[in-house]
Amino acid sequence: MSEPKSGAAKGVIGQRLPLVDARKKTTGEAVYTDDIRLPNTLVGKILRSPHAHARIKGIDTSRALALPGVAAVVTGAENRANFGVLPISKDETALAVDKVIFVGDQVAAVAAEDEEIALEALGLIQVDYEVYPAFLQPEDSLKDVADPAHKIHARTVGETNVHKQVDQHFGDVDAALKDARIVRRGHFEFGSVTHAFTEPHCVIARYDTDGKLTLWSATQVPHYVHRALVEVTGLPMHAIRVIKPMVGGAFGGKSDPFPHEMAAALLSMKSGRPVKILFDREEVFLSHHGRHPTKTDIAVALDRDGKISGLDLKVLIDGGAWGSFGVVTTYYNGVLSAGPYDVSNFRYSGKRVYTNKPPCGAMRGHGAVNSRFAFEVLLDEIAEELGEDPCELRLKNFLPEYTTTINEFRITSNGIAEGMLRAMERSGWKEKYRQLPPGRGIGAACGFYISGSALPIHWSKLPQSTVHLKIDMDGGVTVHAGTADIGQGSDTMLAQCVAQVLGLPMSRLRVYTADSDMDPVDLGSYSSRVTFMAGNAARRAAEQIRTELIEAASRLTGYPAEGFVLEDELVVYTPLPRIRMSYMEALTEALADRGALIARGSYQSPPMGGKFKGAAAGLSPTYSFQSYISEVTVDEETGFVKVEKVWAAHDCGRALNPIAVEGQVEGSIHMGLGQLLSEQFRYHDGNVLNPNLLDYKTLSAKEMPEVECILIESGDPEGPFGAKECGEGPLLPILPSVANAIHDAVGVRIRRLPVTPEDILQGIQKNRMERSDVAAKIRVA
Amino acid sequence: MKNREILELEVNGHRRQTAARPYDVLLDVLRDGLDLTGTKRGCDMGTCGCCTVLMDGKPVLSCLTLAGQCEGKAITTIEGLKDGAHLHPLQKCFADAGGSQCGFCTPGFLMTCTALLEKNQEPSDGEIREAISGNMCRCTGYVKIIEAIQQSAEVLRARKAGNEGQADV
Amino acid sequence: MLLPRFELHRPSSVDEALTIAARHAGDCDFIAGGTDLLQNYKNRLNPRGHVVSLLGIDALQELSPTRIGALTTLARIEESETMRRELPILVEAASKVASPLVRQTATLGGNLLVETRCYYFNQSEFWRRSKGYCLKAEGDVCLVVPQKETCYAAFSGDMAPALMALGASARLKSLDGERIVKLTEFYEGDGIKRYVLRPGELVQGVELPPSATSLRGAYRKLRLRDTFDYPELGLAVTLGMEGEKIRELHVCAAAMETVPLCFDDLTGSLHGQPLSDSLIQLLGERIVKRVKPVKNTALSPNYRRKMVMVYLRRMLEQLATAGN
Ligand SMILES: Cc1cc2nc3c(=O)[nH]c(=O)nc-3n(C[C@H](O)[C@H](O)[C@H](O)COP(=O)(O)OP(=O)(O)OC[C@H]3O[C@@H](n4cnc5c(N)ncnc54)[C@H](O)[C@@H]3O)c2cc1C
Ligand code: SF4
Ligand code: FES
Ligand code: FES
Repeated sequence: MSEPKSGAAKGVIGQRLPLVDARKKTTGEAVYTDDIRLPNTLVGKILRSPHAHARIKGIDTSRALALPGVAAVVTGAENRANFGVLPISKDETALAVDKVIFVGDQVAAVAAEDEEIALEALGLIQVDYEVYPAFLQPEDSLKDVADPAHKIHARTVGETNVHKQVDQHFGDVDAALKDARIVRRGHFEFGSVTHAFTEPHCVIARYDTDGKLTLWSATQVPHYVHRALVEVTGLPMHAIRVIKPMVGGAFGGKSDPFPHEMAAALLSMKSGRPVKILFDREEVFLSHHGRHPTKTDIAVALDRDGKISGLDLKVLIDGGAWGSFGVVTTYYNGVLSAGPYDVSNFRYSGKRVYTNKPPCGAMRGHGAVNSRFAFEVLLDEIAEELGEDPCELRLKNFLPEYTTTINEFRITSNGIAEGMLRAMERSGWKEKYRQLPPGRGIGAACGFYISGSALPIHWSKLPQSTVHLKIDMDGGVTVHAGTADIGQGSDTMLAQCVAQVLGLPMSRLRVYTADSDMDPVDLGSYSSRVTFMAGNAARRAAEQIRTELIEAASRLTGYPAEGFVLEDELVVYTPLPRIRMSYMEALTEALADRGALIARGSYQSPPMGGKFKGAAAGLSPTYSFQSYISEVTVDEETGFVKVEKVWAAHDCGRALNPIAVEGQVEGSIHMGLGQLLSEQFRYHDGNVLNPNLLDYKTLSAKEMPEVECILIESGDPEGPFGAKECGEGPLLPILPSVANAIHDAVGVRIRRLPVTPEDILQGIQKNRMERSDVAAKIRVA
Repeated sequence: MKNREILELEVNGHRRQTAARPYDVLLDVLRDGLDLTGTKRGCDMGTCGCCTVLMDGKPVLSCLTLAGQCEGKAITTIEGLKDGAHLHPLQKCFADAGGSQCGFCTPGFLMTCTALLEKNQEPSDGEIREAISGNMCRCTGYVKIIEAIQQSAEVLRARKAGNEGQADV
Repeated sequence: MLLPRFELHRPSSVDEALTIAARHAGDCDFIAGGTDLLQNYKNRLNPRGHVVSLLGIDALQELSPTRIGALTTLARIEESETMRRELPILVEAASKVASPLVRQTATLGGNLLVETRCYYFNQSEFWRRSKGYCLKAEGDVCLVVPQKETCYAAFSGDMAPALMALGASARLKSLDGERIVKLTEFYEGDGIKRYVLRPGELVQGVELPPSATSLRGAYRKLRLRDTFDYPELGLAVTLGMEGEKIRELHVCAAAMETVPLCFDDLTGSLHGQPLSDSLIQLLGERIVKRVKPVKNTALSPNYRRKMVMVYLRRMLEQLATAGN
């Protein structure tokens, strides 16, 4: 844990503060969607497809409708409107239209007086299916489909089930590979992992007599839900209000508009009553939208100067049933490998295919995690082969600050080298690497990640974030924003930014977010954009208020406005500090004859990036950087890995609230370790074998290692108070750093995730056999 | 088969009556019958601990407990943890140390930890990890939860030692 | 998640419970802590119309090194100083069941009768309908080993092997009277049948021979996470030494097959021999050859078998030194 920087400026920025809603979360007062009770609410339930791929020949809902207590039933035949988070691949419908494309696909929805009746009604709906061949392996989806009706979606590349293909080439990779001092290649396979947030999806829709639809949902993208509702319900946008209550974790798993949200709206419009749909855990797993499993072929070349001269990446991405964020994912699997090293030649070929499995989407570290793993493991192998220190090799290759990557990302602040050095020092790297006793090992890896996407999903001239402020005679400051606090603390961040500018304590701030009627549009909590974008918007709004307060103080005192500052609830004229007044005095003057102060601040990324196709993907106003070192123990007889300690250096620009930043780092480490060691969707044909938290194994407190967060504050010139992201980048290096540590411990390289104890044991035994082979050969010779 | 019957439960120190079905679990009765929504439903299958409540002082999973088997037992939910308007030290420490991010797991953790600290005011790191190993958190990586528990234990120890000034939270 | 409809009965004596069970014979389950039964009921796995709660029966709460009532919770066993002193293997086994929260209500009786587990069985109604029902619930074919006779669901209770290795017996009672069955003879059959308990018969508890406390014992459990997970292998070993020689040795295993296994036929002949590395190796090889886990849990059958050897050696080494 790093201490707050000494000598930091006055105010709330950089302080270790509790989240503004933390206390309510400890008393049961915090209201999540399922805690909302509206009068006269119906229970909504969803009938799901038992088939991975089938045509719907007919649906008979008459018996369900006839059941006493059933208020409404909807099917896809009634609403064929398409929606999807990306305008370029809107391939979802509220309920399956004509065919189902994965086990769990929504076929019909029922609203009834209580859960028992709703469940009974589901059982009374008869669906007649014609089963189609299912595409379950991504390789199968690369092929042409004989019968076009069997294509999973109509819009694909040719007659295949390929959803998106990306090919990029910068420099000359072939030449780089040819001229290299050393080239390492590898084939890696990554299992399917999911967010496993604790709060299941829940939505309430209320269509009232005034023709207004209100939707409360556990979402991280209320604005995209709003847009999708327009497309599905046909209501004008202003007749729809989307509210995000408290959300119990999301990690990307609530960052799409979902069919169940649409179904709830349709049920409410049909029944004229509020409808609540709460998922059980199996439904959460089937909704998925987790990390895309990939098969990754990679080659890394190092030239004679020890520089990374070539990176060649080829990735096959299993997208599951829908597009979701998949077009972005397809880019990210490549483009986010073009750092944090200065890669002088880079080629990427990525294909995302549809398969008849639960849809994949965005998950913490979106698109970057798997390729990063492959890259960092190969770097370790190269270092090993050259007999070099892998940290030194990295230090030699880091991008400097204020530079441009080969694919024209604009790099600004960059504290990666400092992070690496500090992690090495804190961990005792030099004394440990290759020197720990057998079964014990240490490994390093790095990463970098976007801090918001510079180009918004929907092309428009609207800002990406807008924040409104209001201050009235009570002296409290009300912050309004469309941002979605999903537990990461964005409400707290907004309050801090405003409080800092106005020199106020946090207790004066009140934050109201994610209610489309009350708050200005924000694009949502994804791509690690909120602190950077909404934080800037908040700061800018507050600066306007500050100006007004200072002008008021200047009027009252007769001193020029330029000399005034706001701090500690005072307005002080710095050249003569005894000229001062309380914040309330200045405020009262500012309000005179006008009433409440209001202000608006917004953020839009500056223009940047290249001109080539796909140049926008991965462009960000700034990037975070990570350098991790992990130490492990491996049981050489069972193959079990215990991660002992992680030294996690993360350049977040500026830690606005170190507690919150550390929390993101620690949570990311937990999630990444799960992907490495235990988490995975298991399938039997199209059925997820483990759609529950017993068999989908997130790590418990007992497996969690000690974490030392090393926060690097490189001070981003454009970030709010210098800040950049900390929610996703910190996940990237944990997987390869531990994999590299496992190799240091027992000499086993990992090519497939999750790595089971059995895999490691086999690796150990194989090494032993090879060693004894070698020994035998030596003896023979 | 009788559908609903009147169930009498002692919840947070009060006798409460509510209509429940014989096949209702305690979690449903608390949330829907008694409007105590602080207790959370994460999995309904014993695998997340979000639904933990105290029964006669012991932390139990309300999703795997039949309400009909709870009569005569004293149940404490997260709503009953505060002492009037005063937060329990665990509540304050969880909030202040970052032990709660999204907060969905927090009520369950707090009930588990209340029972732990009742029994053991000097829990070791290992004892804490063991005690909370039935509670899942996906946000914090448990690091700050463990810190919060240690801090609360300290506060409680100080309180016990009569060191009121320091312990007053 | 709503449970299926049933009527809940709350008797206060064993006889009353047996009478109710007999009245609804064929459509009745006992419930103790409910941590196993309610999971299965939520998944609509063989639910019954009548459920008889045993929690009101005070007589089944005893806890001593020679008798443990069926309703004794695993948490109580775990926390009992007497048990820790006299029969630490039971404390070890109890403390590895499920999670500490589950153990607060989980009972010993329920643990002995815990439902066998299989990926294709422990699923929701929706899932099983989608995949096709299997032999163990509503269907007529096994999805793991495609045939129509036998279910291979794994016995996944942690207490049974430990109790078996101590020579424990189950005390059963039905309207026909009481009987005492050695645990080694209690379990038989496939993943559906599992034990000799008759319909309507109740487990009152277990009895341990007084000599059990003279054995050194250990229980080890293979699982991916050190909490929640059911055993992928649960190995119990008890050892009595006379000088350098083995006086008594029992090895029992959970999660290898449909019932907990006891290898007394392999260990019996070792009595009187010194506990050597080669003896351990030989015994391990024989056991590994014997066990036949199938692929219906998280770790591969091959790996689970391999671990029998590793665990056995580690445990015997630990027990051998524990006495000195
Ligand atoms: C998340 C989770 C993880 C788990 N992990 C494990 C694990 O690792 N190891 C393990 O062993 N178990 C595990 N379990 C299963 C279960 O919690 C334990 O086996 C527990 O001991 C069962 O006891 P109970 O009192 O809750 O049983 P109940 O659910 O009440 O009953 C279980 C079965 O036994 C019958 N029964 C109960 N008592 C009697 C009696 N006295 N006479 C006749 N029949 C009776 C019931 O009819 C039922 O069929 C886990 C459960 C959960 C929810
Ligand atoms: S082993 Fe076969 S019969 Fe038994 S539960 Fe599994 S699938 Fe069903
Ligand atoms: S809801 Fe009870 S343990 Fe998850
Ligand atoms: S704080 Fe979100 S799950 Fe624990």
